Amino acid sequence: MFELGPLALNLGLALAAYAIVISLLGVWRRRRDFVASGEHAALAVWGCVVVAAATLLHALVIHDFRIEYVAGYSSSTLPLYYTVAALWGGQKGSLLFWLLILTSITAVVELQNRDKNRDLMPWVTTALMTIAGFFLLLLNFITPPFELLAVAAKEGRDLNPLLQNYWMTIHPPSLYMGFVGMSVPFAFAFAALASGRLGDVWIRTTRRWTLFAWFFLSLGNLFGALWAYEVLGWGGYWAWDPVENAAFMPWLTGTAYLHSVMIQEKKNMLKVWNMVLVILTFALTIFGTFLTRSGVISSVHSFTQSGLGPFFLWFLAFALTVSVGLLLWRLPMLRSENELDSLLSRESAFLFNNLLFVGIAFAVFWGTMFPVISEAVRGVKITVGPPFFNKVNAPLGLALLFLMGVGPVIAWRRATWAHLKKSFLWPVTCGVGAGIVAFAVSRNYWAVVSFSLIAFVLATIVAEFYRGTRARQALLGEAAPLALVRLMAKNKRRYGGYVIHLGIVMIFTAITGTSLFRLEKQVTLNPGERFTIGDYTLQYNGLEERDTPHVSYLMANIGIFLGDRQIDTLRPEKRFYKKPEQPTTEVAIRSSRGTDLYLVLGSYDEETHMATILAYLNPLISFLYWGGATLALGTVIVMWPAPVAAREPAYAPRAAEESAPS
Amino acid sequence: MNRSRKFVIGACLLVASIGYLMVAGLQTSSSYYFTLAEFLPRQHELGGQGVRVAGRVTEGSLRKQTSAKGTEMRFTIGDFVGADHVPVEGTVPVAYTGVVPDMFDEGRDVIIEGKLVDGTLLAHTIMTSCPSKYEPKPGEKAAPAEQQQARS
Repeated sequence: MFELGPLALNLGLALAAYAIVISLLGVWRRRRDFVASGEHAALAVWGCVVVAAATLLHALVIHDFRIEYVAGYSSSTLPLYYTVAALWGGQKGSLLFWLLILTSITAVVELQNRDKNRDLMPWVTTALMTIAGFFLLLLNFITPPFELLAVAAKEGRDLNPLLQNYWMTIHPPSLYMGFVGMSVPFAFAFAALASGRLGDVWIRTTRRWTLFAWFFLSLGNLFGALWAYEVLGWGGYWAWDPVENAAFMPWLTGTAYLHSVMIQEKKNMLKVWNMVLVILTFALTIFGTFLTRSGVISSVHSFTQSGLGPFFLWFLAFALTVSVGLLLWRLPMLRSENELDSLLSRESAFLFNNLLFVGIAFAVFWGTMFPVISEAVRGVKITVGPPFFNKVNAPLGLALLFLMGVGPVIAWRRATWAHLKKSFLWPVTCGVGAGIVAFAVSRNYWAVVSFSLIAFVLATIVAEFYRGTRARQALLGEAAPLALVRLMAKNKRRYGGYVIHLGIVMIFTAITGTSLFRLEKQVTLNPGERFTIGDYTLQYNGLEERDTPHVSYLMANIGIFLGDRQIDTLRPEKRFYKKPEQPTTEVAIRSSRGTDLYLVLGSYDEETHMATILAYLNPLISFLYWGGATLALGTVIVMWPAPVAAREPAYAPRAAEESAPS
Repeated sequence: MNRSRKFVIGACLLVASIGYLMVAGLQTSSSYYFTLAEFLPRQHELGGQGVRVAGRVTEGSLRKQTSAKGTEMRFTIGDFVGADHVPVEGTVPVAYTGVVPDMFDEGRDVIIEGKLVDGTLLAHTIMTSCPSKYEPKPGEKAAPAEQQQARS
C-alpha cells in the first residue's frame, strides 16, 4: 500500500517539471492550449500529492512501523487525533503536508482563473509549480517520507510529548496555511512583472488570497503563543525565540503590504514598494522554514538539525534573484502616478505605518540573526535575549498603535486643522483621561503611554461606528442596530478593518498587562504549607498519582483561597510519557476577571513530598484570547464575498479588458 | 518635491530612531555564545560576563538536592557534538538552582546561560534539546544517528 506514496511523489515531480516547461512554451509560442495543458498538469500534481499524503496518513493510522517516519513519530498507543497530527509532527511529514497545502491552493487558483487573467496565468503556474517542484525534489531525493527501516520496528518511538497537546492539531496547519498562502500574491506579483501587465489586476485578484494567508498567519502566531503559554510552563506566551520570530517576520511585512496596497488602489502610488513587500514576505516565509529546519540558530523548541538548510538557502537565493531581477527590469514601468501632498495626510500615515512594520521586521531579523552576523564580522557568536526585542519593539509597537488611531480617520491628501480638531478632539480627550487614570493606579510610565494610546484608538474606532450609524439613521430612518449591521455589510472592508483593529487593541491590552504587571513567585513547600500571591492564598496539600497505559500523572494538589474561603483546587502536573520516557510539565490555570492564576509543579522530592511550585499572576491575559477571536471575526467580515449581483462589476469588466476571452 | 522632502526627513528620523533603539538594545542584552570547544580555551577572559555555552551533561556527574530554596543541581558539561564539531577534552562545572527543565538529564545536549564565577558556571537558564526531534546530522550516516536516538 505504502508503495503508492513514492510513486505519486515521482510522478508529481515529473508533472510539475512538465507544467513549468509547457507554460513557458505557451507564453513563448503564444499557444493557449499549451498554457491550458500546464494548468491541467498543475491540477494533476495536486492529485499526486493528495495520494502521497493520504498514503502516509494511512500508514500512520494502521501503524505501519516498517516506515521510518511512522515508527519515529507515532506509536500504537497514541490517540487517533495525535496520530493524524503526526503527519506534520516530524520533518519529512511536515514537508509533505506543506506541499499538500501548496498544491491544494494552486488547484483552487487554477480553477478560479480558468477564464480569467489569461496573460498572467502561465506565469502564475510557473511560479507555483517551481515552489512545488522544490518541495517535491526534497521529498523525492533528500528527505523521502516513505523511507523504510532496515528492520521493521515492533513499536513506534511515539510523538514528542510536547506535541501531544490540542493546539498541536491546529497551530501548525494554520501557520502553514499562512506561510503557503503568501505564495499566491507572490506568484501573481511575479506574473505581473514577467508579463508586463503591471496594472492593479494582480492586486485585485490576490486581495482575498492575501487576506486568507494573513488570517491564518495571524491565527498561527496566536495559537503558537497560546500553545507556549499552556504547555511550556514558564508563565509567558512569547519569548522572541528564533522559531517564533521566523513566523512573526512574514506577518509583519504581510501586514505592511495589506496596508500599502490600499494606497496603490486609491492613489496609484507605491507600486514598487508593494512589489518589494510581496517579494519580501514570500522570501521570509521560505527563510522562516529554513531557520526552523537548518539548526543555524539554536532555539529552545527547535533543535532540529538536518542537512536541509543549504537547499532552502539556495532556493531562497534563486527566488530572490529572479524576482528582484524582474523588478529592476520593470522599474521604469512602475512609476508612481501621484505624489505625497502633505505630511498630515492619510497617505503619509500609511507610509509611516509601513516604515514601522518593516523596521520592526528588520529589528527582529537582526536580533534573530545576530549570532551569525557577529560571527561573520567579529568572529564570536553573540546572542541577544528577549530584552533586546522588547526594548526595540515596545516603542515601535506603541508608535504603530498611535498610527492605528490616526490612519483610518485622518483626511486623504491634506488634513486641515479644523478637520483634525473635529476628528480627534474626543479621542485625544479619552486618551488623556485613560493616561491620568493609569498614572493614578500604577505610577508606571509605560502603562500611561500604552493605556492612553489604547483608549485613543478605541475612541476613534467607536467614533467611526457611531458616525456611520448616525448618518444612516438620519438619512434612511433605520433603527440603530439595523443601521449598524447595514453599515458594516455595505462597507465590509472598512468596518471589518476596524473590527480587526479592535482585536489588535485588545491584544495590546493583554501585552501591556502581562508585561508590566505580572507577578511571579517560586516556593518550595512541605505538604500543608501555604503562600500568597496577589489576593490569593495557596495551600499545598501533597502529591496525587494516576496511571494510564500511555501516560502516568503526578499532580500537586493545591487549594486556592481568597481570604479564608476556599474557592478552588488546582492540580499542576508532571506527566511521564512511557514511549520516549520523558516527563512533561502540565500547568494549571484558573482564569478570573481577565487575570490568570498560573501554577507549575517545578520539581518534587519523592520521599518527603516536598515540592517546588511556581505561581504566576497574569493580569489582562484574557484579552489575548478575546483579541485573537475579534481579529479573526474582523478578517472574516473583510473577506466575506459580496452578494453575487454586486460581485460582477467589482472586477469582471477589467479582467475582461485585460485578458481576451479564451 | 518640497513636500516629499518633508516626508523624507520624517522617514530618516524614524529610521535613525529604529537604529538607535537597536544599538542601545544590543548593548544591554547580548551575551557570548560558545560551544564547549570554543569556551574552554578562553574561559579565563570571561569571568563575570554573561555567556551561553553549549555542551553535553557528563554521564554520572549530576547531583541534586531539594531544600526550601528549591532544587539545587551540580553537574559538569563536556564534549558536545554540534554541527561544526571539534572534539574536546575537559569539562566545565555548572551550578543551578530552580526549576529543572523536563528534558534535562545526563547525556543530554544543553545550552547553559549564565555567568562564570571562580571557574563554575552559575546558570540562570538551562535550555534542553528535544531528542525525539533529532534528525540525522549532516555528514553523519542515518543509521548510527538512529541508534543514538534509540539509546537516549
